[in-house]
Amino acid sequence: MADKKSVGHAYNVDFLNVVFAASCLFLFLTSIWMIWDDYDREWKGYQRQFVLLESEVTRLNLDAAQEAVDEGRLEELRAQRAEAEQTLLLNRQRVDELQSQLEDVEAELYLANQNFNFQKADYDVERYAFEEVQAEHPEEAEGLRPEIDAMYERWVELGLEVERLTADRDGLREQIREFTGGVSDADAEIREITAETTRLEALLVDLEVDFVNDYLLNAPLLDFMAPTLTVQQTITPNVVDDVNFTRVPKMDRCQTCHLAIDREGFEDYPQPFRTHSNLETYVGSASPHPIGSTGCSVCHDGMAQSVGFVHSSHTPTGDEQTHRWEEEYDWAVPHLWDYPMLPTEMTEASCARCHKDTVYVPEAANLNVAYGLYERAGCYACHRTRGFDGLRKPGPSLTRIGAKLTPEWVADWIRDPRAVKPSTWMPRVWYNSNTDSPEDARRSEVEIDSVVAYLFANSEDHEFAVRRPPRGDPARGEEIVASVGCLACHIVGDESRLEAGPRRTFGQPLQSIGDKVSYEWLFDWVRDPRHFSSETFMPDLRLTDREVADVAAYLEGLTGSAGRPAEATYEDGEVGDVLLDYVRSVLPTAEAEELVAGMSVEERQLDLGRRVIGRYGCYGCHDIAGFEETQPIGIELSEQGSKLLALLDFAFVHDIPHTKIEWFKQKMRDPRAFDRSRVLQPLEKLRMPDFGMSEEEVTLFATAIMSFQTDVQPLAAQVPRSARHDALREGRNLVRRRNCVGCHEIEADGGDYVDLLDDPSLAPPMLTPEGAKVRPEWLYAFFREPITIRPWLDVRMPSFGLEDQHWNVALDYFAAISDVVGPFRTHDPVTLAQVPPEGRELFDLLRCQQCHVLDTIPADQPTDNLAPDLRMASERLQPDWILDWLREPLAIQPGTRMPMLWTELPGSFYPQFGQDGERQMEAIRDYLLTFRGGPSPLRAGN
Amino acid sequence: MDAIKSFINIFADPRLFFLLSVVALALIVWKREIFARNAVGYGLMAVLAVFFAFGLFDENFVLIIAKPDNVPIVALIFLVIFFTWYSMREAVRNDERMAAGDDVIEKQESDRVWVWPDLVYTELISLILCTAILVVWSIGLEAPIEQPANPAATPNPSKAPWYFLGLQEMLVYFDPWLAGVVLPSLIIVGLMAIPYIDTNPKGNGYYTFNERKAEIVIFLFGFVVLWSSLIVLGTFLRGPNWNFFGPFEYWDVHKLEALTNVQLSDYVWVRGLGQSLPDNILLRESVGILLTLGYVFALPVILARTVFRNYYEKLGATRFYVTVVLFLMMLSLPVKMLTRWVFNLKYVVSIPEYFFNI
Repeated sequence: MADKKSVGHAYNVDFLNVVFAASCLFLFLTSIWMIWDDYDREWKGYQRQFVLLESEVTRLNLDAAQEAVDEGRLEELRAQRAEAEQTLLLNRQRVDELQSQLEDVEAELYLANQNFNFQKADYDVERYAFEEVQAEHPEEAEGLRPEIDAMYERWVELGLEVERLTADRDGLREQIREFTGGVSDADAEIREITAETTRLEALLVDLEVDFVNDYLLNAPLLDFMAPTLTVQQTITPNVVDDVNFTRVPKMDRCQTCHLAIDREGFEDYPQPFRTHSNLETYVGSASPHPIGSTGCSVCHDGMAQSVGFVHSSHTPTGDEQTHRWEEEYDWAVPHLWDYPMLPTEMTEASCARCHKDTVYVPEAANLNVAYGLYERAGCYACHRTRGFDGLRKPGPSLTRIGAKLTPEWVADWIRDPRAVKPSTWMPRVWYNSNTDSPEDARRSEVEIDSVVAYLFANSEDHEFAVRRPPRGDPARGEEIVASVGCLACHIVGDESRLEAGPRRTFGQPLQSIGDKVSYEWLFDWVRDPRHFSSETFMPDLRLTDREVADVAAYLEGLTGSAGRPAEATYEDGEVGDVLLDYVRSVLPTAEAEELVAGMSVEERQLDLGRRVIGRYGCYGCHDIAGFEETQPIGIELSEQGSKLLALLDFAFVHDIPHTKIEWFKQKMRDPRAFDRSRVLQPLEKLRMPDFGMSEEEVTLFATAIMSFQTDVQPLAAQVPRSARHDALREGRNLVRRRNCVGCHEIEADGGDYVDLLDDPSLAPPMLTPEGAKVRPEWLYAFFREPITIRPWLDVRMPSFGLEDQHWNVALDYFAAISDVVGPFRTHDPVTLAQVPPEGRELFDLLRCQQCHVLDTIPADQPTDNLAPDLRMASERLQPDWILDWLREPLAIQPGTRMPMLWTELPGSFYPQFGQDGERQMEAIRDYLLTFRGGPSPLRAGN
Repeated sequence: MDAIKSFINIFADPRLFFLLSVVALALIVWKREIFARNAVGYGLMAVLAVFFAFGLFDENFVLIIAKPDNVPIVALIFLVIFFTWYSMREAVRNDERMAAGDDVIEKQESDRVWVWPDLVYTELISLILCTAILVVWSIGLEAPIEQPANPAATPNPSKAPWYFLGLQEMLVYFDPWLAGVVLPSLIIVGLMAIPYIDTNPKGNGYYTFNERKAEIVIFLFGFVVLWSSLIVLGTFLRGPNWNFFGPFEYWDVHKLEALTNVQLSDYVWVRGLGQSLPDNILLRESVGILLTLGYVFALPVILARTVFRNYYEKLGATRFYVTVVLFLMMLSLPVKMLTRWVFNLKYVVSIPEYFFNI
């Protein structure tokens, strides 16, 4: 300790020096660390790596471009150039002389131009001053006018000088060109031929490592000026992010790492360098969703402003990728962003953000199937969903159940529907994961029996149309079922739901139907489905009673598993106990006990049945007496995909990642899973029934649910609204909701029935060009009363009995697909007398009748060569379309057997009309249109 | 291992946690000679370090401790305990010297301050080290970008900034107007008033305990127990739904706490007198109102005449009453906590009709 008076130190200064030095070093090192941390970004590594890949691809492209160069022509041009150069050398002196004159003139012109422009500037200043004086003090203006006029004169003179010198220069250039023209022409052509290789060579040079560009400009601390490694972002004014208080344009920085996403040539490189897998539809500049206006995250989600792999919240697909990411990138389930990227197999869910209220989005195969399944499973019946409003109940009506089924069968059926029909969409309500104990089994049996009792007690009578139907031949019935088109909507064998797809599960699977219903009922139903159930979508196939009997006999023979037997028996008293439980949830205990005590055993069972149906919401899917006005039991799913994770209750389920998609998937794998480990009274348990979904189905349903999002994107981002757009949307929905696409391919989708046939030429026709092809009045009449167009087909167009509003939607839809002008088109009717004789000549020459029916079906032709009766053409076909068809049949209907007869257009092989192909086609068309007397739906009183 | 964890989890119960804090404070004050030993001080730090090292093997513990926001609170635990121990050690040493008739340690040091180079140099070094530590801190503990703030989805638990967690903890026991307005204002007013009400010249410029027993105990209780430990508790032990979770417990949103607290008026009328609550609000809450008025107005007078008579004489009426009211206000928090824990008392005065609860 130093003395007060003397100068001393509180600390050992030498020691402080050491501490100071150490702390300086520490600060220095941390500063370097800080700079490095700021500098070292993963995206920079990707951009450096990408330069190498780009050189590689450029080199390949260069090789290809060099291959493509016409070497012969190039040699020729080089020779030409050398020759021209020789000529030029001979006149060197004269050229040099002209050149030096040209230089002098150009120097003068430069000066003259400058003088001219400066004079103009000075004049403009003075003129403005003069104008001002003239406006404010007109009396002083006149004195100033001469000065202004003089300046103008001077400016005009300078202009003349410029014009003179320009003419001189051009003259000299022309003279020089006389000597040098050969060389420069050759150069120009050589440049044109080698433009691509030159461009690629220059690009390669650019890509080469260079000190300034690659090191200096990107060096730590210097990289704020003009780095070559930069964050790449797309700002999309019409596609927005909802940041809760407002909506802001999306700022997608994905391209910072995904550098080749919109460029061809990188398809085989690993991520993040790979080209987008569908450049024609997305990202590409010519696609409907160019990256500059659509961006990335509106489809893929994720935190697109982030340029880190983990922060941008990538989502893996499958366990293998998950594990790899965890190891490589330290990836973990993102919890700092509400909307992590969708796994790739579910990205199509985002289509619905802009393509609204439609169950068909072109090219979105997964989403379309997902929506199909969503309707088949009837999710919308319990869970209100925007876009699925007002649809019919997905299950059959149960108001006449007594005439159709037996109580025993119904009990076995609802106990476990898939045990009876493996492919059914009817879910299992009882014996699920939260009701699988022996006590639950007793209660389940009580409930099942009471539901059955209620249904049968409330069933209406039904009078079969034919009292004692004739017996049919099962073998013939099988043939009919297999050939008229039943299988487009119904599964008969053991095909799974997923294999068959949403279109061929449109109707109930026919597995074990012989155990289910009586022969009489089958006959009645097949003969006229609407006789039993006026609301059914099952169409009338116009079978004869004989055929109906055959079909019924065949179906009666389809028997199978009797289902799952009851796993418990119960005493009558238990019905009262269970009923009391239900009643106590709505009434005070004393009143409930009084109510139950006052009932007979049968009354108890019926009352319990009503309450059980109400609790499980059976009436959501089925028409049940007494539940006509009751609201469905599920929560609305219209915006479920936007739901925040925190609002989903995982309860004690910790063995799945806590993400929104995994919650939805778990809910569908086992709807009662979130009751696991919980202590619950029977009425507190979850009640969503089990659909027995396969993992693929689970993913598809999750895709559908993730597509139900809150509206965020502005109208400007959506498909522009127009009458055609609306017609497409409504038509696409209609042909799926009536399963037209089960038989017909429309807009490259559907037509599943074709796959069931050995011979594709026996399939129902493809309807994409229908709007351009047939006259709307004919089509309308055909819809209402179908006629046979192709008699050699077994499959037939059923009578759907739809209302006009639906038929008009279909007509508008076909018109919208073909983008035709409207229903009315001018074509002056032609009589045979007006048709030039060449029409008839060509008709015979081209042997149209060899395949086309003309009253009689051509003999000796295989069915795949046969074509419709040409006598229908005048009523049925659009005259303009016939020309299109003759011109290029394959463009309209890929795979058609109709030959392309005019391959030399506008010329022709055929001599008529001086080999004018167009006139020949018109003549043959006009000749066709004179045919009369073919089968017609119009004459049938429509 | 699990047994140890569940044993520790038990102590995270707020009642035990608070009780132990108070007991610890009493022990520190009572057995300060032992507490002031180097072995105890360094031993405490070692025990803490071992505790955290042990905890790092537990998934749930790491989730809470290693969250970038919370790491500084870990440092706070070490620092508060260390400095409490250090000042107590110095105080005990000086007290022993004074008892032996020696000068305090600080007396022996010179009054002189060496500005150059000592002060300037050490300041410079501190500046450099603080800068370096801040740099390391900001690199090491990243602040992530989170989703845009959503008024419809607040985080659960929603926590105040760490320095306000003591206040947030008060919200459990008091209405917002008290916990958020009156009590914080009184804290600030009270801190400003200290120079005017604490006129004890002793302990000025040196560590001592014996010469400022009451002041130091009040400070330790107010700052360490009521403020710092509530920050620690709010940071590490309050989970979803503001429920309590032991340091090794999973923060399950489904964990429930029974809300069975009752008003004082219920105790008086329904449980005590076996009749329904009177319609007249003032009559209904009369007992609570009287108790509150008594606590604020009558208790200081009673204290002045009885146990605190010495202080009253020493400080004079104004100073005494200001001090006692501030002191009682500080004590209102533990009093309310105790009544809540022991009697399930929700509010002493509860007039929800006018949003007025005490």
